[in-house]
Amino acid sequence: MRYLRLAAVYLRLGVFNELEYRGNLVVQVFQSLLGLGTALGGLAVVFSYTDNLGGWAPAELLGLLGVYFVVGGVINLVIQPSMQRLMEDVREGTLDFSLIKPADAQFLVSVRQFQLWRGVDLLIGLGLLGIALRDLGATLGPASALAFLVALAAGGVIVYSFWMMLSTLTFWVVRAENILVIFQSLYQAGRWPLSIYPSWLRYGLTFVVPVAFATSVPMEALSGRLSPAALAGAVVLAALLLWLCRRFWLRGLKHYSGASA
Amino acid sequence: MGLLGLYQAQFRTTAATHLQYRVESLIWLFGGIVEPTVYLVVWSTVAESSGGRLGTYTSGGFAAYFAVMMLVEHLTFSWIMHEYEYRVRMGRLSFVLLRPVHPIHADIVDNLTYKLMSLIFLLPVAAFLMWAFHAEFAPPLWAVLAFVPALALAFLLRFLMEWTLAMAAFWTTRVSALNQTYYVAVLFFSGQIAPLSLLPGPLADIASVLPFRWFVSFPVELVLGRLTPAETAAGYLAQAAWLAAALVLVRRVWRAGVKRYTAVGG
Amino acid sequence: MAELDIEIRELTKTYLVHRREAGLKAAVTSLFRRRQEEVHAVERVTFSVSPGEVVGFLGPNGAGKTTTLKMLSGLLHPTAGEARVLGHVPFRRERDLLQRITLVMGQRQQLVWDIPAIDSYDLNRAVYRIPTDQYRRTLAEISDLLELGGLLNKPVRNLSLGERMKVEIGAALLHRPQVLFLDEPTIGLDVTMQRRIRSFIAEYNRRHGATVLLTSHNMADVAALSRRVIVIHRGRLLFDGALDHLVARFSSHKTIVVQLREAVADPSRYGEVTAVEDGRVHLRVPKSETARVTAQLLAELPVEDLTVEDPPLEDVIERVFAQPGD
Repeated sequence: MRYLRLAAVYLRLGVFNELEYRGNLVVQVFQSLLGLGTALGGLAVVFSYTDNLGGWAPAELLGLLGVYFVVGGVINLVIQPSMQRLMEDVREGTLDFSLIKPADAQFLVSVRQFQLWRGVDLLIGLGLLGIALRDLGATLGPASALAFLVALAAGGVIVYSFWMMLSTLTFWVVRAENILVIFQSLYQAGRWPLSIYPSWLRYGLTFVVPVAFATSVPMEALSGRLSPAALAGAVVLAALLLWLCRRFWLRGLKHYSGASA
Repeated sequence: MGLLGLYQAQFRTTAATHLQYRVESLIWLFGGIVEPTVYLVVWSTVAESSGGRLGTYTSGGFAAYFAVMMLVEHLTFSWIMHEYEYRVRMGRLSFVLLRPVHPIHADIVDNLTYKLMSLIFLLPVAAFLMWAFHAEFAPPLWAVLAFVPALALAFLLRFLMEWTLAMAAFWTTRVSALNQTYYVAVLFFSGQIAPLSLLPGPLADIASVLPFRWFVSFPVELVLGRLTPAETAAGYLAQAAWLAAALVLVRRVWRAGVKRYTAVGG
Repeated sequence: MAELDIEIRELTKTYLVHRREAGLKAAVTSLFRRRQEEVHAVERVTFSVSPGEVVGFLGPNGAGKTTTLKMLSGLLHPTAGEARVLGHVPFRRERDLLQRITLVMGQRQQLVWDIPAIDSYDLNRAVYRIPTDQYRRTLAEISDLLELGGLLNKPVRNLSLGERMKVEIGAALLHRPQVLFLDEPTIGLDVTMQRRIRSFIAEYNRRHGATVLLTSHNMADVAALSRRVIVIHRGRLLFDGALDHLVARFSSHKTIVVQLREAVADPSRYGEVTAVEDGRVHLRVPKSETARVTAQLLAELPVEDLTVEDPPLEDVIERVFAQPGD
């Protein structure tokens, strides 16, 4: 399909671009290792006192950390850079270059900017997941694996739609850029199982800023804690948010081109 | 008086700048609130599943600890390392050097002014956290009074140390690695991940020799009423000793930094 | 002998840089063996400036102008040689000296970006400990001369480039410095703004007798402001003297402009034709030939008007810089 090819082209361009900045890889690896060390250190201290946190075993928490790194990696790899570029384009008026291209603008602006070296987080996350799975091995089956992938995909769509909608706000409010920092700050809470938070925080982390869908929900699917109803709910929510995001984007485009007429 | 006039002028400048960026400032505060809240919840959970208490901390004890820690961390932190990296990158360091005053004065006032403004927002948040998580907070009066000088010393000590680290920008543009290692070390060893008394053996040993505990952990434990007067006095001495060392470092590094900068150019 | 404001002797600044070529092989070899090169940014420059003088410092990019200025303002430590500004050694950065000099850099700003300039002015007032009434007087004078008006009350980020430059210059003068180091103050500005800033500097110098050392690679700045010009090229001082002498010394040609009553088939017989417009022919002619060619033109062609001009300053300077460095 055409859009797949387009995405591939952007990816290639991004890779070549980033290869120019090899020094950034070293910096990124160092940063990621520091982040990993901090997270693991925290886990280690906690688990020196107990062997389960809110009913979750150490291996499950490790897996959760893995999902946290994987999703965080994807966000920093393509979603965050693209959204940032989108907001700059709106501010500077250079969005026009994307709009006159013969392809869907929303797709273009969503995948065109890469920070390749953030992929290190992805690798770290996969590694952590691997280790966690080995420890959880006995209790896993193809159903959990499938549920996990579905939940992960739904989570990805939900996070993307959330970021996209917030970024679309810049069509109306130029200084909306900083609002995305809220997600980055709250994302930290995703390193721990949702169940330990008081109900009001749980609500906020699920329905106000969808951190839970990015990390906790997929991990719960993997360890078999997620009910099929909840999984279906996540998928429905993902579809709904994607649709909403699309409508909002189109609205924003209308406003943008109307305003600069 | 000259220096006082400078402090007032810098206060006005910083206040004006931050008023321009009110919304952004609030958003940036978020990170500083989320992290202690998360650890609060985590440790309360661990405490509850361990029979209600962990060491000397009950669930309510953890709530008080992390709420107060959030405030003390905020009151002592600085972004001066980023600031100098920015100044070097934008070529503004020359202007700092051209001024007939030592730059640290303006830097301190800039830092304190920001905190004064953000405290208006943070104090209610801390109070809310204490209420929502049923904090146990009933310190003796002497501890609350003793807290003030401890906090002042902690701020000065931390600021001077971070200012010294900021001078690294004179030598290299790749200061981010240094900065981030420092932040992680502070995170663990100033008591932000867990109260220092709960750190496992080897980590606790490291924490006791590093200066970071005097940044945050000491004032926090003091105002929570967890220290004896003797321990408090010993704490003051430690802070003062580290502060003296920091003062010497600041002078040396600044002079070396200027020498380096004027040898190589901006 | 009158006291000199600026005095430098054999001032030298040499940098050691690592040179590495692109490519993987070079990257690996550079791990073992570092090739170092010496860059002579400023080489044994000597000159003095008397109080109240306005000196233009000319040179192409990378000639060493900014480096010299930085050494004079104490931001850079010379490798060799001596410098004295107002009797002080600049790189000692003594407070007394810092109070009496100022540096304006055309491509960098010291003002705080988000707040009105007047607030940054207030900060400078405190930094330089300017007494209130003196500050008010100076501010009024500078506002007037620079035509700052309401600009001071707008956040700096909302000002245009030219307005920002004016406000920057104002900030640099609040403490009434005796010596002004201006590094490319008109860079990037439109012609009108350039002229305004130039006339401001001239007026300021006239009123306060401040010594001005001004660098530029814009001829118009130097020509308009300073009678004395110092030319620096590849770190070396090429010329120090009056502007007209510069032209006389470095230009080997003159331009004859002839206005003809009727067009002539081939004017290039007389010299190199550099332009033809509306019957006016510009001929570039070696200095020694000027008299002969002029006489020839007058005798052989239907001349309506004839002038002999020096070549444009830009051309002269271009020639100066085109000279081989060593």
